[in-house]
Amino acid sequence: MLQYLLNGIATGALYSVIALGIVLVYRTSRLLNFAHGDLAMVAVFLVWSFSRPLGFPGAVAVALLAATALGAAFSFGVLQQVKEATLLGQVVLTLGFSQVLSGAALVVWGADSKPFPFPLSSVVTYRLGGAVISQLTLGSLVIALVLMAGLYLLIQQTRVGLAMRAYSQDPEAARLLGLPTRRLLAFTWGVAALLGTAAGMLLAPVTFLHPYFMLTPFLKGFTAAVLGGLDSVPGAIVGGLLLGVMESLFAGYVSLRFVSTLSFALIVVMLLVRPEGLLGRVFQRRV
Amino acid sequence: MERLPRLVAAILVALMVAWGAAPLSAQVRGVTPTEVILGTSAPLSGPAAAWGITAIAAKTYLDLINEAGGIHGRTIRLEIRDDAYLPPRAVANVRELAERVGVFAIVGIIGSANAFAVRDYAYQQELFWMTPAIDSHIWIGYPGNRYVYTVYPDYYEEARIFTRYAVETLGAQRLAVFYQNDQYGLAGLEGVQDEIARLGDRARLVAEVPYEVSDTDLAAHAQRLQSSGADAVIIYATPNHGAMIAQAMARIGYHPHRLATFTLGDATIMTALAGEAWEGVISAGYFPLPDEDPVVAAALERVAQREPSLRAMAYNALAGISFVEPFVEALRRAGPDLTRESFVEAIESLQDWDGEVIRKVTFGPDRHQGINRIYLTQIQNGRAVVISDWITYPVGF
Repeated sequence: MLQYLLNGIATGALYSVIALGIVLVYRTSRLLNFAHGDLAMVAVFLVWSFSRPLGFPGAVAVALLAATALGAAFSFGVLQQVKEATLLGQVVLTLGFSQVLSGAALVVWGADSKPFPFPLSSVVTYRLGGAVISQLTLGSLVIALVLMAGLYLLIQQTRVGLAMRAYSQDPEAARLLGLPTRRLLAFTWGVAALLGTAAGMLLAPVTFLHPYFMLTPFLKGFTAAVLGGLDSVPGAIVGGLLLGVMESLFAGYVSLRFVSTLSFALIVVMLLVRPEGLLGRVFQRRV
Repeated sequence: MERLPRLVAAILVALMVAWGAAPLSAQVRGVTPTEVILGTSAPLSGPAAAWGITAIAAKTYLDLINEAGGIHGRTIRLEIRDDAYLPPRAVANVRELAERVGVFAIVGIIGSANAFAVRDYAYQQELFWMTPAIDSHIWIGYPGNRYVYTVYPDYYEEARIFTRYAVETLGAQRLAVFYQNDQYGLAGLEGVQDEIARLGDRARLVAEVPYEVSDTDLAAHAQRLQSSGADAVIIYATPNHGAMIAQAMARIGYHPHRLATFTLGDATIMTALAGEAWEGVISAGYFPLPDEDPVVAAALERVAQREPSLRAMAYNALAGISFVEPFVEALRRAGPDLTRESFVEAIESLQDWDGEVIRKVTFGPDRHQGINRIYLTQIQNGRAVVISDWITYPVGF
């Protein structure tokens, strides 16, 4: 039981980090970013490529910068340039972007799985009560928590965070008050890409690196975001952890065969019962 | 009025050209005096893209034959279509290959679900089908199997061999199966179940643990296996998931005997992915390994020089070559007058025939399963070491 819980929390924390990236973008632009996973995938490949010449920390720095820049550039260079795109049109643009990214990765890095070098070992384990936790899992958990805390500080304690919150509450008013909304949007996309990349780097040592390795984790992150509320930052964290633990317990005690179905069933149920998510704001449109 | 004769002449010329080309292509689909056309649908993109390498290798191998002059003055063109491992796209691809391109035969096609989706259409079109890369067992009793010539092992029979080996040689008494939840994995599971039933009290199947191709977290699966107390785990999975479960088991300190299907037999790839956790794994092969057989090594080297990306996935590349080898030999034997009948006669004359990669191939009017033997390997210090003689199993069809 303890082992299943522990596994669930560790996996759930990564879902949370992915969900946070989705939620951040959704809060500011009311847009579901389907390229979130693929952007992270490309960045993790960059780490893989650069870790030989630059060493692991150097490669991580390059990849995080590149992902942030790529995310910001897509927001600034494509999404905002498309004149009079409807929300749906923009969502389709992110879908297209995701196809471009995965296609490019296939051409550049090939389709075969690659082991991902990570400083933490997945085979060195520690005993924790009756359960076992690997160095990698423990490290992932810590990094995920640090990222969450960092994001909380960014949003709650900084001027940029204040601007982001203002914009998400009322974009029109924020613009009128002179907030640099375009740069703000690009910044949000950059931070989201950074979160996705971090999650990708923690997943790749376990799932191995190939152009589609972020597909399922992205869908799980998406589920977590819907579960917690698409516009709620704490909701994304709660949703991710909840999903991870539920999946793990379901796999352990109910059925391994239907564990992948669980998350999609959850989306449907959540949208039926409480469309705004566990911690989301009730959706209202002023007439 | 001056224009009219010219127009008539143009139409006449066009008709003559069409007439000249038509009778041959109408006689034998996919065969012209200068060319034989083959087609395949392969996962060049999508989650199974690494297996698409088989199609690239087959094409490279054929291109080299073409450059050396082809067979009886004909070059062999392999048309590859991408199905991204999606059955509906595989069907659309094969329809296009049969009806628009007009292929003589199809080659390969990866994935049980994809081949199943294509099966009835291929039969209806009477398409020759060289080595569908799926469980051979599914062809037994299927009427369309008369157009199928396969040199691919049988997962079901392999699983029975693994089970016997685990119980009789390794002394395992409690077996578990970790399998992909589709026809591929189920064929393995069934083989284990049947063989355990045959062995009676000597062993029990204590856990059947399925996973989905989309699963990225196998911690719970590993734990299920561990808590079952199995002393041998038989694995039917993608290379990725095979490596993931091996690591997940090692992570919780669970070290049973592990026997993994031949699709996970590439020691280089598996050791690169799973590292230490793959050490000691028993797997199977159905053609000699390149580092044990100079002819196989030379074939690999030839295609890899042409297409360097094949080198990293040697095992898949060699499998791709083996898909087309018997076909090329049949063309050779059929002579310049290639018809469906002469092809059938030629390929069914293969008796204990050795290709460069695939060996001891036998076809006949009542035998379309060209090989019925595998051997076992074990990973020792990161390399696959042969640990058994060839083990034969009953020919299914």
